[in-house]
Amino acid sequence: MSANEAAVTKPIPVPDELTAPFWEAANRGVLAIQHCAACERYIHPPEAVCPYCQAQELSFRQVSGRARVYTHTVVRDNITRGFAEGEPYVIGIIELVEQERLVLVANVVGVTPEEVEIGMPLRVTFERLTDDIALPQFEPEEA
Amino acid sequence: MDEFSGRSAIVGLGYSKLERRSPRPLAHFAREAAEAAVADAGLKVEDIDGLGTIPNIAAYGNTGDLEGIDIVTVPNMVQMLGLEHDIRWHVQTPGLCPDTIMAAGAAVASGACTYALVWRAVNVPKGRYSDFSREKAYGGNQFRAPYGFNMPAAWQSVALRKYMHDHGSTREDMAAFVVQNRENTQLNPKAYWHGTPLTVEDYLEAPMVADPFCLYDCDIPVDGCVAVVLASAERARDLRQPPAYITGHAQTTWPTRGGFTDSENMWEGGAAMGEKLWASAGLGPDDIDVAMLYDGFSIFLYVWLEALGFVGRGEAASYIASGATALDGELPLNTSGCSLGEGRLHGMAQISEAVLQVTGRAGARQIEGAAHTIATVGAGTLASGGLIFSREARA
Ligand SMILES: [Zn+2]
Repeated sequence: MSANEAAVTKPIPVPDELTAPFWEAANRGVLAIQHCAACERYIHPPEAVCPYCQAQELSFRQVSGRARVYTHTVVRDNITRGFAEGEPYVIGIIELVEQERLVLVANVVGVTPEEVEIGMPLRVTFERLTDDIALPQFEPEEA
Repeated sequence: MDEFSGRSAIVGLGYSKLERRSPRPLAHFAREAAEAAVADAGLKVEDIDGLGTIPNIAAYGNTGDLEGIDIVTVPNMVQMLGLEHDIRWHVQTPGLCPDTIMAAGAAVASGACTYALVWRAVNVPKGRYSDFSREKAYGGNQFRAPYGFNMPAAWQSVALRKYMHDHGSTREDMAAFVVQNRENTQLNPKAYWHGTPLTVEDYLEAPMVADPFCLYDCDIPVDGCVAVVLASAERARDLRQPPAYITGHAQTTWPTRGGFTDSENMWEGGAAMGEKLWASAGLGPDDIDVAMLYDGFSIFLYVWLEALGFVGRGEAASYIASGATALDGELPLNTSGCSLGEGRLHGMAQISEAVLQVTGRAGARQIEGAAHTIATVGAGTLASGGLIFSREARA
């Protein structure tokens, strides 16, 4: 197809010095979160220095992919790039089970907006955007 | 109180007209407000030797930043006012207006300049307010934009959802605040929503922007400018208007960790800022007669009321419902309608009304005998700030 027929994609994440290990893992279907060995806390989004103990030696560690809905919003009447126009979608603030208030943004998929509620158990799934980038997303744990 | 308390004052205040999607360039609004502020102080434009502004665009996404159209910088203002040879001090701060006003207050108190003009000019961007249409997402956007988490309304709506869940508040509770605020707006002729009342039913039936936020949880974007003139406390006494002495100041350095994902950050950051604010003034919540708390989005009212210690955690909704924040209540709140009712002026609506109330110039909505007023701007986290204004130089 010609260029002007190309589907409009969601904005493609551009990995950088801090975030490359996150996206490299996601591309293999693994959720890996930055971890501080000194204070044994997870950090997201990745930082140059641990915000909790100021240590600088940080690495990435695979997590379980289990989570719950910390809070969420439903965008209706949207014109959001890469989303079906006018189709409601759920943005979840997702709290990973590994640590209190360890949250990341993802769409809650495989469920209607009306069914999503705070505390709902979730598990990670991956949405492929390009050959190099897969987005961690979350779906109900029992699905 | 600290050494800065009471050493500077806002001595003049000026507004442009507030319009929406005006064909006039933003520079004309900025000039209108600047000249009005200087005249209000009883000064002449050539008396101004200090300038400060916040030249950020108001939108998120791909809108322009054309000089004089979308932003009005210091060099632009210098040229419009013909002050090329007069300006001894100037600053352009990113972030929000309390930073700039603090800097200008320090400049006039120290003698770096004599009369400083600070303005904030904002417009309604062309197209949609939040329209992330770039193909790639860098930096913090890489964890938000692919998920359609692209607009400030969505960032803040998750906080209201969590608040309603954790504290049992309802949309009816928020409707009570928004309707009270719109009633205050009817006493403010310069407000965008002046002449347009709002009912609880209007709020509950309004289109949802980012559930649980509806249209009326969001401030009203305008084209406009507000400007203030600052002088040292010594000079302020001899000018045309009663001075609004800056007796308390605070800036927050609290990170917005994760980019508006964990709303608890707002309460923690707001509380940390509050400690500094009260300490700088030697005052506490009970000393405040009128409060102008930032309401770019409705949830911020709950954040500031609780984080600053006016009420306990989780008590803001019931406090508002009790009538305590009405014009005849114990803590009249956002008496001019502020961002939700007057217009999205990125905190200058808060600053200006705090000044008018403490100098007895708030007209039909004046709270009698207001001796100390507060203005906060921001969400509690990074770039937020707060100021306390007092009728007397020393709190
Ligand atoms: Zn650490």
